[in-house]
Amino acid sequence: MTPEGSLLAAEGLRKAYGPTPALDGADFSIHPGEVVAVMGPSGSGKSTLLHCLAGIIRPDSGTVRYGTHALTELTDAQRSALRRTDFGFVFQFGQLVPELTCLENVALPLRLNGTKRKDAERQARDWLAQLEVDGVDGQRPGEISGGQGQRVAVARALATRPRVIFADEPTGALDSLNGERVLTLLTNAARDTNAAVVLVTHEARVAAYSDREIVVRDGRVKDMAGRI
Amino acid sequence: MTLLRSRPHGERDTTVPAPPPAPPRTGPARWARDLAMGMRFAAGGGREGWIRTALTAAGVALGVAVLLFCASAPTLMNAWHGREKARENLGQAHPPPRSDRTVLYAHTDTVFRGTAIRGRLVRPDGAHPPAPPGMRHLPGPGEMVVSPALKDLLAAPDNALLRARLSSYRIVGVIGDEGLKGPRELTYLAHSDALSELTGYRIDRFGKSWDPRPLTTPGLVLVIMTCVALMTPVMVFIGTSVRFGNERRERRLAALRLVGADVRTTRRIASGEVLFGSLLGLLGGGALFLAGRLLAPSITLWDINVYPSDVTPGPLAALLITVLVPTAAVLVTLVAQRGVTVEPLGIVRNRPPVRRRLWWRVALPVAGTALLVPMAIRPGPIDDPLATGCLAGGSTLLLFGVTALLPWLVDRVVGRLRGGPVTWQLAVRRLQLSSGPATRAVSGITVALAGAVAIHMLMTGSQAGYAAAYAESGRVPQISLWGNGASWQQTERLLSALRATPGVTTARGLLDANAGRMPTPDHDTDRDLPGIIGVGTCAELRKVAHLPSCRDGDAFVTDGHRDSGTERGLTPGATINLNPPDASDEPVPAPRPWTVPPSARAAQLAPLQDGHRLYYDLLLTPSVLDTNRLTRPSVEALVRFDRDTPDAVEHIRNTAARIDPTMMEGSSIDNPHDRQYDGIRTTIFIGAVVTLLLIGAGLIISTVEQLYERRRLLSTLDAYGTRRATLGWSVLWQTALPVALGLALALSCGLALGSLLLTIIGSDVIVDWPVVAGMTAIGGGVILFVTALSLPPLWRMMRPEGLRTE
Repeated sequence: MTPEGSLLAAEGLRKAYGPTPALDGADFSIHPGEVVAVMGPSGSGKSTLLHCLAGIIRPDSGTVRYGTHALTELTDAQRSALRRTDFGFVFQFGQLVPELTCLENVALPLRLNGTKRKDAERQARDWLAQLEVDGVDGQRPGEISGGQGQRVAVARALATRPRVIFADEPTGALDSLNGERVLTLLTNAARDTNAAVVLVTHEARVAAYSDREIVVRDGRVKDMAGRI
Repeated sequence: MTLLRSRPHGERDTTVPAPPPAPPRTGPARWARDLAMGMRFAAGGGREGWIRTALTAAGVALGVAVLLFCASAPTLMNAWHGREKARENLGQAHPPPRSDRTVLYAHTDTVFRGTAIRGRLVRPDGAHPPAPPGMRHLPGPGEMVVSPALKDLLAAPDNALLRARLSSYRIVGVIGDEGLKGPRELTYLAHSDALSELTGYRIDRFGKSWDPRPLTTPGLVLVIMTCVALMTPVMVFIGTSVRFGNERRERRLAALRLVGADVRTTRRIASGEVLFGSLLGLLGGGALFLAGRLLAPSITLWDINVYPSDVTPGPLAALLITVLVPTAAVLVTLVAQRGVTVEPLGIVRNRPPVRRRLWWRVALPVAGTALLVPMAIRPGPIDDPLATGCLAGGSTLLLFGVTALLPWLVDRVVGRLRGGPVTWQLAVRRLQLSSGPATRAVSGITVALAGAVAIHMLMTGSQAGYAAAYAESGRVPQISLWGNGASWQQTERLLSALRATPGVTTARGLLDANAGRMPTPDHDTDRDLPGIIGVGTCAELRKVAHLPSCRDGDAFVTDGHRDSGTERGLTPGATINLNPPDASDEPVPAPRPWTVPPSARAAQLAPLQDGHRLYYDLLLTPSVLDTNRLTRPSVEALVRFDRDTPDAVEHIRNTAARIDPTMMEGSSIDNPHDRQYDGIRTTIFIGAVVTLLLIGAGLIISTVEQLYERRRLLSTLDAYGTRRATLGWSVLWQTALPVALGLALALSCGLALGSLLLTIIGSDVIVDWPVVAGMTAIGGGVILFVTALSLPPLWRMMRPEGLRTE
């Protein structure tokens, strides 16, 4: 049963990789504009939960509902379309296309959605300015610092004005100063656009930016606020 | 403060660290150890390691096989020529006297529906004649032995006319391999009692000493260009395959550095991995070669068809290939590792981005053109060593120039591309960042295609020259026949038989023989050119000359001197010699005097008729001269036929063979060069296709390798919801751009080189556009082929598993 008013909710998710269970009856829900930190030790199933919630992978059982959609019942193409239009992603590394400039990277999801190049690049330029990296437009990812790269990645995640942003260890490869700046920008931008943020991390200081924390352990979810 | 505690003499200090390990051995032993370690890694490197090893082995195997085939060419030609030399003896230099061990020998070569058939007649003088290779003894009277291919041809139901031509002889055996030039040769040897000293040579042995003609300059250029065009793609393929799985190999090498291996050791270990693949390739190449040569009997190139055992490389060449190919593979690896330093924590690529300079890349084709253009502008002899060197060097430089120019061209073109849809942008940006791997693989296409187009043009131009000549000569449907003549009556019988042959419209012919001036004490006739006497009825004579009037007993002196400055003395009332010397080294024969009738009148030879020049100096009606007095008279007939009558030419040949099987034929009906050139052109086309597929395989390796290195990025793009088709199209553009540029460059270079070569050999420049279009289409097919085969791994790598870090 979906908690009332939630934007995205999962119930009884089970997912195993071979004999090893990654999720074992996990439940989850998030409301619009809410930032939820998903915490837990390495190998607890945090990333798997995020991938199931985002429709990147199908759980073995259980349901994921996004608004009126049952994600688990959509085809691969429908889930892909949803990810293009409604979801944004920030990963720890390996997410920017190295051969494209930063501006083109931010414009990429817009262009994949059919926005014309000039329009896409104008919007991308705005986002880069908002993320305080407007000086890196013409540079390639290999030519900028890790912190700048991660801000570009956040700008790209926000470019399509998604309703849910999935961030998997977004500051894992950054020093604390850069990490905090990225998180501040990400969460502020999300709140400004009323986007929900699923923030996977194993660092307590990162979780501090969230409205609510849940812990994944042995494939099960425990809501630190006692709410499912 | 004492830092070192003193200890009593003799006390053992257990705190002293162990001495450093002995320095590693140096020199060949160390090389061998590191290479062996690399080979062990290659063998135990898991699935990816085995794929890399298999790809390297496949590339090396192809290279080895190509080299072994090329190295077999001299042996093959020697074997082919050697069998011909061992079995032939037409026109023995010093004819032996008749004995128990001599045989009369004549050739009866014929053509059946455009296919040449070698025929030989024998008639032993005694009980112990020699036998040529391939048979224990000569066939008996009315019998013949045939090659297996001719036996099959004779047995075919449609070939009744050929069976009729050889119906005088019964097949009693098959000629063995050593008596045949090749397994598909059509030949027979028959015993004919009709053979006489007039129609055959007397010989006492089979086997003739003669040297094959050396390769002509165009032939040499062809061989060099073929080797360059074939070997370059193979080298490119090896270069591509050794890079497969680089990432994992580099991780392994980094791990070795972490435990103390130095940079040079890691390079040697990497070389060892490649050495393992190349040694396997060496074995595979040997097996490929052995399997490939089994196909030799089914292949005929330029009328050369050989046995598998003939395709054997020389021992030195085989040894060089065995040693040099694995060495080359190791060198390629070492060169590929330039600028890459394996550090304990990973790879450091310390080469700055390559700035591709134009000057030296242009220098190669410019130098090639500079060598060829002067030869094209001022055509001269091309068979001297300098000209051959210029031709070979110029062609090779032009072909290699294409390879050198391509990376620069791709860089420049993709560097200027802007805009376009996302798929296009992803591909263009990727190429802008790193076009090296794709360009490297495509450079093989350019050399192969440029070489193929140039060779094809060379073939087409030469073939067109022959075709034009044959078309001109064969414009009138006619066939000329000549052979030994006995008398006018025999000539008349031949003409009557020919006129009665189906399809024959007209036939004319004369009995002819040589005649010259009588020798005198003050004039040595040894070096005189003989005049020609033609004997025939008035009706026949009128077909070759304008006669004032004619009846039997008339004689005519013509204006038909071949060299108007030479007076042969065949004038009315002159006594001439019917047995003139024949300018050979044989003793001058005894003169046979005969007086030209004083009543002989002047006649004018008909103008050039039917493309045949008439050379008669004296025309006689049959009763003027007893033809038995002529020396080795011959008969020549010209037969016209109706093209619409089926097999008219074969009927004419059958008639001639029935009258005199040793009669020879001269006609432009069948152009043998068409078949020769068609075979070569087909082979080149197939070779180009195979080469392009090989390049395609190299491109797949390079594309999949790139995809593998970017699998995390692909998974991320998938997470964003990127469509599979988007990335599929991007792969297509990424392949298509360098291939299209390579094709354009290859076609330009191939057409330029082909035009130059054709101009140099004095042939018209003709481009076989359908073939050029076909090769371009195959290039396009390679793009689709590579893209199609890259899609499954692309989609596999777009799976979310790539996002997992734990």
